[in-house]
Amino acid sequence: MVDDSVFMRDIIKDIFAAGGFTVVGEAGNGVEAVEKFKELKPDLVTMDLVMPYRNGIDATREILRTDNKALVVMCSALGQETMVMEAIEAGAVDFIVKPPRAEDVLAVVKKVLGEA
Amino acid sequence: MAGPSWDTSRYLALFAGEAAEHLDGLGKDVVSLEKGATPALVDSMFRHAHSVKGMASSMAFEATAKLAHRLEDLLDTLRADVARVDSSVADLILQTVDALGAHVKAAAANEGLPDSSALVTKLAELNSSLTGKPMPAPSAPPPPPFVSEPSPPPVKSSPSAPAAVDPAAPPRFSLKLKINPGSNQPGVRGFLAYKRLGTLGNVFDLKPPLDDIKAGRVPQGTITLELETDQTEDAITRTMRTVADIELESIALVVKAPPAPPPSTEADPNRVVGQEPARTIRVRTEVMDQFLDQAGELLLATARVRELSRGMPEVLRPPLDEAVDRLHLLVKGLHDKVMAARMTPIAVITDRLPRAARDIARRRGREVDLVITGEDIELDRAIVDELADPVLHLLRNAIDHGVETPDERKTAGKAPKGKVTLTVTRQRDRVVLELSDDGRGIDVERLKVLVVERGLMTPDQTRLLSERDGLMLVCLPGLSTATDVTDISGRGVGMDAVKRALEQVGGTLDIETRAGRGTTFRLSLPLTVAMVNLLLVGVGQEVYGLPIGKVSGVVETARERLSMSQNAPVLQFGQSVLPVHELSSLLEVPADDVRRVQSPFVVVDADNGRLALAVDRLLGQEEVVLKALSRPLDLVPGLAGVTILGNGQPVFILDVARLVTA
Repeated sequence: MVDDSVFMRDIIKDIFAAGGFTVVGEAGNGVEAVEKFKELKPDLVTMDLVMPYRNGIDATREILRTDNKALVVMCSALGQETMVMEAIEAGAVDFIVKPPRAEDVLAVVKKVLGEA
Repeated sequence: MAGPSWDTSRYLALFAGEAAEHLDGLGKDVVSLEKGATPALVDSMFRHAHSVKGMASSMAFEATAKLAHRLEDLLDTLRADVARVDSSVADLILQTVDALGAHVKAAAANEGLPDSSALVTKLAELNSSLTGKPMPAPSAPPPPPFVSEPSPPPVKSSPSAPAAVDPAAPPRFSLKLKINPGSNQPGVRGFLAYKRLGTLGNVFDLKPPLDDIKAGRVPQGTITLELETDQTEDAITRTMRTVADIELESIALVVKAPPAPPPSTEADPNRVVGQEPARTIRVRTEVMDQFLDQAGELLLATARVRELSRGMPEVLRPPLDEAVDRLHLLVKGLHDKVMAARMTPIAVITDRLPRAARDIARRRGREVDLVITGEDIELDRAIVDELADPVLHLLRNAIDHGVETPDERKTAGKAPKGKVTLTVTRQRDRVVLELSDDGRGIDVERLKVLVVERGLMTPDQTRLLSERDGLMLVCLPGLSTATDVTDISGRGVGMDAVKRALEQVGGTLDIETRAGRGTTFRLSLPLTVAMVNLLLVGVGQEVYGLPIGKVSGVVETARERLSMSQNAPVLQFGQSVLPVHELSSLLEVPADDVRRVQSPFVVVDADNGRLALAVDRLLGQEEVVLKALSRPLDLVPGLAGVTILGNGQPVFILDVARLVTA
């Protein structure tokens, strides 16, 4: 789970916990995200768009370069449509919109993991 | 004969380009002759020669037309009896192709045409010996004027004109998608669905158009499209099921897959008929460059407007921002389309390779099979152009230094004929070219000895090299592994140039080798060159851009906490210890007077290994349009290009690889 806001990470973490998922690692910027990904190889990554050091789009690109089957779901706010589309071009599989609603997040994640 | 009444100079570039393509095609055909002459093959050669003749006479290059005409005559004769093609005939044809190439080159440069009368005579002699008819008298009248025999149109119409539905096309499905009305950002949803389908095949007849979908204009949330794919209906349905908030309302097959073509045509190595793209126009490369440049300028100008809007009163901003967003989407769309139009199949360079491989192998006494796959994959024209020499060089190396002589191979228990493969694949946003040989491999230990002998490194330095870095020694300037120093294609000099050319277009080089088993050179290339992701750093008053691709990481630490090694500061990064360079001293610009407690260090990959650049500030990152430097700035070492940020500020992009050696 990648987000530079600890607050946002907590919200999403709670949603995942309620949905029966385990958050195996957190990162606060894109550089950290790529390192953690290589180390933990999670089933799915949620990725904030705007972060220091390396934004979500580049981190996504880099993650997919290490593993082209990686599942990256973008977290975006309204008004960031262009960036989300760029992330999708870069290989992100889906996106959720902040502020996140539990049912939306879980629906997207289950879809992506092929569990729905 | 008088020249044509119209001004031919306007068409000269077009003539030169197209004639060269025909000659390449001819050369390729000649190489295929060695696998056996077929009527279709000789026919293809005949048509190439015919085209060249027609174009040359249209341009009033009569010597060229005459030579091409004699070749055409010979091929016409051979067409009737392909069994008469032997290696001496093939050699004469090749010789003619080369001579015609020299003609075209001279014509393009406005120089006098070379004298090929001896070759004309040889062709005529051979032809008359084959037909039993007397050869034309030396003073024979020139070939009939071109008016009686119009040159073929640039776009050849194949004899078996393709039907309205291309029989080779995969099946097409008609799809109807519905975006969940409660969905956030329906435009992005629609775009995601489109992208996902794009991974399965080609999308046609998208309604509404993509730009409308991206802007969220999807009436009733309904999208219809046709998908051309080899996948089954089931696979498509399954894929769409993994996209949230999109429902696949209906799917139906629109075109039945035709029966597979008979295997005989499949096996025919000469793709001659029925494969021409439907409609094309020729545009000079410079025009495409100008398009790209202008589209790039538009992107920059849009970014500038966005920046200005930040200073507007709050009430004005929302409508202005919306307008700028829309403008940005349109301009980005235009930029993407221009980029797409510049895409050129890599076949443009690989088509010449079989001929080159044959020549090199013959000269060096090797036997080689060259197998090329994936030549239809497309790349930006600028990159394809840059690749021509490096790829040829790698091929020459593979045959010259990689593949052993037939005797050596037999001794080593290998087939006498070596195998060289060039495989082109698309891997996400990169294109990967792999050139592999099954030869002797690169002897890294010998390389290290050579490097030390040449005084390029100390023995201790070479001992510390990783396996990969050891192999990369072949790219050191001034190094050759050829035992014979007079060897012309020594690996050293050329490999240096290959690596440099690759980096110029944002590519990377990897080498793998196994002793006695062969070597693989892997070239990884971006699809386009014009956009680059930058990490912006501040040094004193200045801002510089570092290409993200070269940045391995960022470390923030106090300068006092750096360790020292031989009186120079070093930075601990992961398991390794890296030399630290002050960017301000490298660029000879003043740094901040007051240093912050925590300084940022950017770890970059340079030519001679990783190093850390000390900067004053990290300013975030930006995707920018890279503009090449013009004279005299392009001569300054350490600069890769320039761009203009949204706030109008010009920023130099640093050539990280060359920064420190500079």
